Amino acid sequence: MPDSQPDSSHSDSNLSQNEPKIPLRVEFSGGLELLFSNQRSHRITLPSTVPHGDGTTKPTDITYLIDWLRRNLLKERAELFTDGATVRPGILVLVNDSDWELEGEGDYQLRPGDEIVFISTLHGG
Amino acid sequence: MPRKSKFDKSKTCIKCKTARGNIVIRHAVYCKTCFTPLVVTKYKRCLDPHINAAPDGQRRSTLKASGNLLIGLSGGLGSTVLLDITSRCYFSTKSSTEDGRKGGKAHPKNDRVWKQASVCFVDTSRAFSEGVTKDRSEDIRAMVEQHKEFEFIVLRLEDAFDISWWKQLGGYVPSSDIRANLANEDLVITEAHLQSSDPVASLRSYLSSLPTATAVRSSINTLARLLLLHTARSMQCSHLLLGTSLTSLSISLINSIAQGGGFNVLEESFEEWTPQIARSAQDASSDSPHLAGGVCTVRVVRPLRDIGMKECAAWAWWNGLQVVGKDRTFDPDGKQTIGGLTKDFIVGLERDYPSTVSTIARTCAKLAPKNEPDGQCIVCERPAQRGIQDWKSRISIRSLEPPSPHPPHVASDDPPPISLTPHLCYACHTTLISRSSRSTVQNGAEASLAPLPVWTRSALVESDAADVMGTKRLVDHEDMRNAIGEFLLHD
Ligand SMILES: [Zn+2]
Ligand SMILES: [Zn+2]
Repeated sequence: MPDSQPDSSHSDSNLSQNEPKIPLRVEFSGGLELLFSNQRSHRITLPSTVPHGDGTTKPTDITYLIDWLRRNLLKERAELFTDGATVRPGILVLVNDSDWELEGEGDYQLRPGDEIVFISTLHGG
Repeated sequence: MPRKSKFDKSKTCIKCKTARGNIVIRHAVYCKTCFTPLVVTKYKRCLDPHINAAPDGQRRSTLKASGNLLIGLSGGLGSTVLLDITSRCYFSTKSSTEDGRKGGKAHPKNDRVWKQASVCFVDTSRAFSEGVTKDRSEDIRAMVEQHKEFEFIVLRLEDAFDISWWKQLGGYVPSSDIRANLANEDLVITEAHLQSSDPVASLRSYLSSLPTATAVRSSINTLARLLLLHTARSMQCSHLLLGTSLTSLSISLINSIAQGGGFNVLEESFEEWTPQIARSAQDASSDSPHLAGGVCTVRVVRPLRDIGMKECAAWAWWNGLQVVGKDRTFDPDGKQTIGGLTKDFIVGLERDYPSTVSTIARTCAKLAPKNEPDGQCIVCERPAQRGIQDWKSRISIRSLEPPSPHPPHVASDDPPPISLTPHLCYACHTTLISRSSRSTVQNGAEASLAPLPVWTRSALVESDAADVMGTKRLVDHEDMRNAIGEFLLHD
């Protein structure tokens, strides 16, 4: 059962030792976990700022997280998770138990300890 | 760049006006505490007016159904949420269920809305070759068994072709195998001696003779729907609840219209179904028998039809519901069918223009067919219009072929061929015959001789089709009364 599995831990290999880091908890539900090694709960650590084109940086946001998850944890069928730079329609995203639409969606800047949940609604009636 | 906000004014809940909001529902912000009663209210507003047999204007009278309850569970998000809310609202017996075995299904609570409640799962894993799809019935059983008040029933899609299943339900099946030739639009019926009675083989043969992937998908839905309805009828259920959400309702409305089901668009959201067995039984006897228990009609209600998928997902997450998942392997990407394309369209629309989807459902609810129904389709058992053939022949651009000769194995002194077409609704006729460039059928008459679902076979024999057959009725009323005797009550 997915629930009895321990969290898997990942961290961005590009992190340098003394750069501030953002530890996060990421959950997948509604069938999305099937794309992520059938693992519902993941603990990851991201850098607090990330490259943002032309040598500039930006604070790490959910848009970056989505891309990071796609590149690092997604095992199959990216088209069921992402749609361009955001998630596919039909995926509900909660930030600390709140609809991400209240938090600025992809622009929400991640903070240490945040819990981000991705729930697929596409499994129908 | 500025992003258009998905919610109206502030992040504060519009209901209690104090708590910080947790969810945006079509531009309105709600907190978690106010979300629960909001969903329950929408659910009850949809179901409660349909519970009592007779409508009452005053609304405050006690809710009491005339029969039992059946819940159709697919394992998907909608039906998982449906089961949870139904259990909470109408069967909440938390304290009394713990002591003793009797606390569950047969609990003698007189104030219950429905005396008995069952949950039915239709397994479709054998529709295609072995190993393609997992049978999830045990996963779903484990989930349902958390609710002691519900009995769990597994149906298999192949039951639709299983004579013994149909007999258990009191249906009549002729001794010969009736097949339809799907190679031309007259859908000529062929009677053969019983060849293979293996339901799985018949199911696969039926599905593989359908012309398109869209037809396969909508036929699977129709078969599952009829299995649920006939099961509901046999268990004396007055209500069948389905977990269709606002999102999936909008998908099925558009889908149904796209596939020629415009006449039955109202049935997609609410339906009162009277089985053909009841209709024929009344025709067959002059002393107007009733079905046992007095239940002739099953109301199909979709209590989540005002609740979007997003709300369902939030409900499931906040209540810790496990969603087993729905079988999607027969259409993994949904790209090949009208249904899959419609789904992508509606789900995308719901994200970008969240109010539009409920407008679709409301608009369709106002549509009414121009003509009165003229009988019941014997495949989907929904109201049908007469004269499909005439109409299709007037609007279609095609070359007319000479009338098809008898199938080779029908002797020449047999009565003229019988067509299935006059007994079908427009949508089922289209499903069975429409060709597409991606036709899944090889040409060739043998491949197109499709077995028919048991209720269709039964109806062909019982209906006036038998008269059309010319020489004889395949079954007389006395036989039929014997077959369905246990369901008849005499005055
Ligand atoms: Zn509130
Ligand atoms: Zn039909």
